[in-house]
Amino acid sequence: MSAQSNNTHSKATSTITPASQSFWTSFIQTFKDVFGDKGVLLMLIIAPIIYGFFYPWPYSSEVVNHVPVGIIDHDNSNLSRTLVRYASASPYLDTERFINEQAAKEAIWSDQIAGYMVIPTGLEEQVQSGEQAHVSVLGNGGYFILNKNVQLGFSQAVGTVSAGIKVKKSIAKGAYASTAAQNTQAVPLRIMPLYNQTEGYGAYVVPAVSVIILQQTLLMATAMLIGTWYEQRRHSTSVRGWLGRIGALSSLSFIVGCFYYGWAFELHHYPRGQNMLGTLLFLALFCPTVATLGCVLGLWFRQRERSMQILIFISLPIFFLSGYPWPADQLPQVLQVIRWLVPTTPAINTSVQLNQMGASISQVAIGFYALAGLWLLYFVLLLFLRKRIPQRKAYL
Amino acid sequence: MHLTKLSEAFLRSAAYERRFLAKNHWDFSMVVWIPLATVLLIWWIFSQTQITDLPIGVIDQDNSAVANTAVRYLEASPTLTVRQLYYSQADAEAAILQRDIYAVVIIPEDFSRNILSSQPAPLTLQVNAQYGTHSGIIQAGVQAVASTLSAGVEIKRLVKQGVAPSQAMTAYAPISVQRISLFNAATNYQQFLASTVIPALLHILAMVIGATTIGRELRDKNIGRWYRFIDTGKPHLTLSKTSKTTSSLSTKQDSSNNKTSSSSAKVPHSVSLSVLVFGLLGKYFWPILAYSLWSALILWLATSNQNINIMSLMAVYAGFLCLMVLSFWLGAIFTLNSFSLRMGLSTTGFISAPSYAFAGVTFPYIAISDSAQYWSNALPLTHYLKLHIAQLQMQAPIAISLPIVYGLILAAIIALVLAALLTKRALAHPERWGAR
Repeated sequence: MSAQSNNTHSKATSTITPASQSFWTSFIQTFKDVFGDKGVLLMLIIAPIIYGFFYPWPYSSEVVNHVPVGIIDHDNSNLSRTLVRYASASPYLDTERFINEQAAKEAIWSDQIAGYMVIPTGLEEQVQSGEQAHVSVLGNGGYFILNKNVQLGFSQAVGTVSAGIKVKKSIAKGAYASTAAQNTQAVPLRIMPLYNQTEGYGAYVVPAVSVIILQQTLLMATAMLIGTWYEQRRHSTSVRGWLGRIGALSSLSFIVGCFYYGWAFELHHYPRGQNMLGTLLFLALFCPTVATLGCVLGLWFRQRERSMQILIFISLPIFFLSGYPWPADQLPQVLQVIRWLVPTTPAINTSVQLNQMGASISQVAIGFYALAGLWLLYFVLLLFLRKRIPQRKAYL
Repeated sequence: MHLTKLSEAFLRSAAYERRFLAKNHWDFSMVVWIPLATVLLIWWIFSQTQITDLPIGVIDQDNSAVANTAVRYLEASPTLTVRQLYYSQADAEAAILQRDIYAVVIIPEDFSRNILSSQPAPLTLQVNAQYGTHSGIIQAGVQAVASTLSAGVEIKRLVKQGVAPSQAMTAYAPISVQRISLFNAATNYQQFLASTVIPALLHILAMVIGATTIGRELRDKNIGRWYRFIDTGKPHLTLSKTSKTTSSLSTKQDSSNNKTSSSSAKVPHSVSLSVLVFGLLGKYFWPILAYSLWSALILWLATSNQNINIMSLMAVYAGFLCLMVLSFWLGAIFTLNSFSLRMGLSTTGFISAPSYAFAGVTFPYIAISDSAQYWSNALPLTHYLKLHIAQLQMQAPIAISLPIVYGLILAAIIALVLAALLTKRALAHPERWGAR
C-alpha cells in the first residue's frame, strides 16, 4: 500500500504542474489532490468518522452507578443493620462488609472499593438516649467522581434512617404523622439540570471534544497537504488560489461536521440540534478558519509528516484552555489572553451553546466575532508567509 | 558476539542521532523544548488548584428577610458568587444561554410564609448541566447552603418548641454523617488532573518520537546506511555530511535523486539482532535521557508539597521511565510494521491521543463499558496511572503496586525485541523504503 502511494508521488514529482491560480481551478485541484492522497484522505475524512464512534466508547454507560464500597459495622445493632440495608439499597452503591478499617483501606489501595462507611460501637445506644451520634464516610479523594458517589450514596442512606428516627420521636411527642414527615428538611433543594438533563458524562464531554477532533484532523490534513505541495514545489499560488484551497478543504470538513451534528450525536443520544441553523452557520465559519490555520502551519512546517509530529499532542492542552472542562477565569491571567489564539477556544463554547443548549445566534455573537477575527489573523499570516517563502528554493 | 562490537554499535548510533538532532530543530524541539513547555503549561493551567466563585444568578420572588439570608449564604459560599439578581425567568435563561451565569437559584414567593408555617419551603436550582464540572460544583455548593438554612430554621423551631438549644442539634439530626475524603482531601485539581494529564501527554510525545526516529530513516531510505554505520563505522559521518543536510530538509526530490541509484547497494548482507538492539538503544538514547529528566520534573512538581516515601517515589519513577521507553518502542513498532512514517504517526495518534479518556481517571474505570475496559487494559497509560495514583495520592504500600512496575519493565523489554525484529524485517525489504 505504501509503496503504491510512493509511486503516485514520484509521478506527481516528475510532472510538476504549475499551481492553479484562479479560485475554481484551485478548488478543484485541491479536491483531486485530497482524494488522490491516502494520507490526507485518512486524516480529513476517515479519522474523524472513526473517532465519532471510538471516542464516546468508554462513556456509553453515561452515569456512574453501583460504585463498590465497604461497610464496617462495629455496633452490630438493629439500627446499624438498618443502615447497612439502606446503604445496600442505594443505586449509587454496591456494598460489601469489611471486618476493620485496615482491610477496607487495603481494598481501596487495590482499587476494589472507592470508599467505606464506619458505624462506631454504641451508635444505637447514643441515638436512643438522645445523644448526638455520628457515622463516618470515607471516600477515595484520588478519584473525584467516585468520591462524590460514595458521599452521596451513604449520606442519603444515613439521612433517610436519621429522618425516620426523627419522625418517630416527633410522633412520640404528639405531632401528627403527616406534619412530622414533612418536617424532615425545612428547605429542600429541587435541582433541575438543564440541557444535559440526564447529566451523562459522555453527553457532557463528547460534544466539546468533537469540536477538537474536527479541528485537529482538519489542521493535520491541511498542513500535510500543503507540506506535500511544498516538497513538490506546488505550494505557491495567487490569493484567489489560496481561497480556493481553503474553500475546498473547509467544504469537505463541513460535510464531516454535519456527520457529527446530524448523526453521531443522535446515535449516542446526546442532546443536540437545538439551533440547527446556528450550528450550520457556525460550521461555515469554523471550518475555513481552521483550514486557513492549517495552510499557515503547512507553510511553516514544509514537510508532509511534520504536521502530525507536532500537532498530535496538543488536543489535551487546548481542551483545558477552552474554558469548557475547567472554568476559564480560574486560568492564570496570561493564559486567559493567549488561549484566544486557538480556534477551539471560541468554537467549543459556541458549538455547545448553539447545538446542545439552543442559544440564539445573537447570544453567541462574541464567539462568531472571535472566529471571524481569527480567520482574518490567520489569512494575513498566510499572505505574509506566502511572500516570505521563496517560490523556488535557491539551490535547486 | 563481542561486547565491544555491541557497545560500539550503541555509541555510533548515539553519535549518528546526536548529529541529526543538532541539525534538525523540529526534531530537537520534540525531545527538549516541547515536552518541557508542556509540563510547565499544564502545571500552570491548574495553578489555582481549586475552583472558586462560579457565577450564578438568583430570582428572589419572596423578598423577605429569610430570602435575603439565603442570598447572603449563597454569596458567602466559596465556590459560588451571585453575579446578579434577575426579575424574570426569561432574563435568567438568557444569561445562562450566554454563559454569564451557570445556574439560577429561584426563591419562590411563598418561601418565608412556608417557613413560618412550618411547611417545607423548597428552593429551586436550575443548573446548566451541559457544563459538567461547573454543574457538579454548583450543585454541591447550593446543596450545602440549603442544608445550612434547613438546620438553622429547624433548630430555631425546636428551640421555640421548648427543646434546650444544646439538645436541638441532636433532635434535628439524630445520626449525622462525618464526611471524610481520604487522600487529596482538599480536592486539589493540580494533584488530580495536572499530575495525571502530564504523564498522558509525555506518553503521546514519546510515542511520536518513537515513530519519527526510526520512521525518517525509512522515509529517507537511509535505514540501510544507518545499519551499516552502526555495524562497521562506515561511511564516516563527516563524509556523508552533504547528503545528510539535504535529506534533513528531506524534500521528495532530494531523497529520490540521491538515493534511488544507490539504495540497493545500501542493503546490508547480514543483519545481527543484538547489534540492532544496541543500535536502537543508541538511536533512542537522547530521547530516553531527556524524557527521564521530564519524568523527574513532573514527579518533583507533583510531590514537592507532600511527604512521599522515597521507595514509593522510586517505584513510580521506575514505572514512568518504563512507560516512556515502552512508548518509544511502540511508536517505532507501529511505523516499522507499516513501513511508513505517516502511517506510524497516524496509528500513534489514534492510540495515544484518546488514551487519557480510557485510563479511568476522570471517568472512573468501573463505569467504563465492558468492551471498552478491554481496550483500556491494553493501554500502558492505564496501568501507569493506577501506579501513580496509588503511590503518590493514596500512599498505598509499595507491594500493591510492584506488579505494575514489573509489568511495565517486561513490556518495555518485549517491545524492544519486537522493534529490533521489525527493523531486521525492514532492512530486508529495501523495495518498501521511502513510503510517504
